[in-house]
Amino acid sequence: MKDLNAVWIMTKLFTLRFFRDKIALFFTLVFPLIFLVIFGFIFGGNESPSFNVALINKSQTDFSKTFVEETKNGEIFQITETDFESAKEKMGRGEFDAILEIPEGFGALDEQGRPSGTLTSYFDPGDEQVASGFQATLQGVLDSINAELVQVEKPLQLESKPIQTANLTRFDYTLAGLLGFSIMGLGIFSMSEGFTVDKKTGSLRRMKVAPIRAWQLIVATALNRIFVGMISIAFLFITALLIFDFNMRGDYISFALFSMIGTACIFGFGMAIAGWAKDANQAAPLTQIITLPMMFLSGIFFPTFLMPVWLQNVTQFIPLTPIVDGLRMVLTEGKTLLDLGPQLAIIGVWTLVIYLIAFKVFRWE
Amino acid sequence: MAETIVEVRGLTKKYGKKTTVRGIDFDVREGEVFGILGPNGAGKTTTLEMLEALRPIDGGGALLDGIDVKKHPHKVKEIIGVQLQSTSFFNQLTLVELLRLFGGMYHQTVHPYKLLEMVNLRDKAKSTVDTLSGGQRQRFSVASALVNKPKVLFLDEPTTGLDPQARRNLWELVQDIQKTGITIVLTTHYMEEAQLLCDRVAIMDNGKIIALDTPDNLIKDLLKKGFKKKAEVQQADLEDVFIDLTGKDLRE
Ligand SMILES: Nc1ncnc2c1ncn2[C@@H]1O[C@H](COP(=O)(O)OP(=O)(O)OP(=O)(O)O)[C@@H](O)[C@H]1O
Ligand SMILES: [Mg+2]
Repeated sequence: MKDLNAVWIMTKLFTLRFFRDKIALFFTLVFPLIFLVIFGFIFGGNESPSFNVALINKSQTDFSKTFVEETKNGEIFQITETDFESAKEKMGRGEFDAILEIPEGFGALDEQGRPSGTLTSYFDPGDEQVASGFQATLQGVLDSINAELVQVEKPLQLESKPIQTANLTRFDYTLAGLLGFSIMGLGIFSMSEGFTVDKKTGSLRRMKVAPIRAWQLIVATALNRIFVGMISIAFLFITALLIFDFNMRGDYISFALFSMIGTACIFGFGMAIAGWAKDANQAAPLTQIITLPMMFLSGIFFPTFLMPVWLQNVTQFIPLTPIVDGLRMVLTEGKTLLDLGPQLAIIGVWTLVIYLIAFKVFRWE
Repeated sequence: MAETIVEVRGLTKKYGKKTTVRGIDFDVREGEVFGILGPNGAGKTTTLEMLEALRPIDGGGALLDGIDVKKHPHKVKEIIGVQLQSTSFFNQLTLVELLRLFGGMYHQTVHPYKLLEMVNLRDKAKSTVDTLSGGQRQRFSVASALVNKPKVLFLDEPTTGLDPQARRNLWELVQDIQKTGITIVLTTHYMEEAQLLCDRVAIMDNGKIIALDTPDNLIKDLLKKGFKKKAEVQQADLEDVFIDLTGKDLRE
């Protein structure tokens, strides 16, 4: 109890110290914002999204042939012709965003001599946000063909199976990745510097004079940083809402709690590095080793489903992956904390392991 | 005779093959100011830091107020105050905040202003350490070592680098602290300082204690050997001139 009280006092004063450090503040509060805005514009620009579509063509009509040709030549859809079973399996792995079925006789001329028929699109309900984007786009394509055929009523119809609601923008898909990247930046890049500076000046050694243990110092510092990290995430989120019209579909409590848990986990890595390293030169390479795989394999910038399956099996265990996945599920799919069991389990194990390591490898000087 | 509060027996430190503290023994008595003198590299800091549970002890051991440093380093830390030879404090916190921080680590209620009053830094309460002069910094360092109302206070070269005024000021502080009943162990390179402050001194060289007694006895022993100062003894020295010219008031 006495030990926890000491942690609490340390947390308060470390936080006070942090807010007086202009450079640290810039790097935790302003820098991620700049980053969000830049990458938000790059990833969330007006260019239209593209979809991986499995095509099953059962129709032999001329119209359907032309339709398939045109769709293939367009930039929006990446079409692969295949059969339903394998398409379904691959969609399960995320290789396809949707399956488009052209039924037999699609495009046959009706009494008025116009091609008509109904397309069916199938998608994974777990990937609702991609599917809704896909449907909206496909509907747009059909609408324009309809318009060309000058019809009052539309002979070509799109039938969508699950229900879709909001229109998500590219930015909406990207925000989870950007938040994940910020958490990593705050937790590892700026954190891993922290202790090494205090080791250099000797202020850490001065604290070692007092009867405190490494875990108290680590927990106090982590709490302080998590608090600051949450403020930073709040800033990022508000910016996303204001500048990029972010479409929040989840609840704020799940979002806040999940980001806090994720932040706590990732910050453990920064703490472990900073606690172990004697100086910045020791910290730097370790930081690289840990952040590089996170940066490229956690789905921040590159969707994990583009990777070979064996790699996907590995990447799901990289600690940032379940965080980015979970954030995405909350932000764009409206999932709650209760739906994130598997993610929370992986994060939980990592958190436990990394803090135990951090306590163990900590060096005061 | 006063009780023994620090009991050092066969204390040894090795760095690789080199033994820098070679099985030293000494006792410090409750309430005294105990000085450790010795040339650079003699092992003074190493000795203190072993007693302070900051460096592992490679041989022998020590009891502080009956507590074994090797077995209960954390318990020892609770009853001692430490001023390190070279130290630094967070520059983003004020003196008051730093004292609160250190107090928190000892789970003690601190009275920052009282402590600052004692070391004559009351008007600097809201300043940060980087704006203090060398002497003020040393005094703050002493204040920070007092947050837990220690039984034994360790001061490692508290006056090195200070001007004569600041040094005299710190001497007074040490004497004031001694009056409150705290035992003080200090190191110094200034002989007149040792002579003035210390009840007893140990002279260390090459990792060994080669003499230990009151300053008066050590001088008497030397004179008994027939020692004579080469130069004719003057009634004043250059330091007296300096103090006479610049006064005793603290600058900073
Ligand atoms: N971490 C260390 N690793 C190896 N050798 C060390 C270490 N710390 C001190 N030493 C060596 O131990 C010896 C004693 O050092 P110490 O700092 O105790 O001397 P000191 O008496 O305090 O000297 P000074 O008057 O210069 O402060 C020196 O030779 C020093 O080089
Ligand atoms: Mg020394």
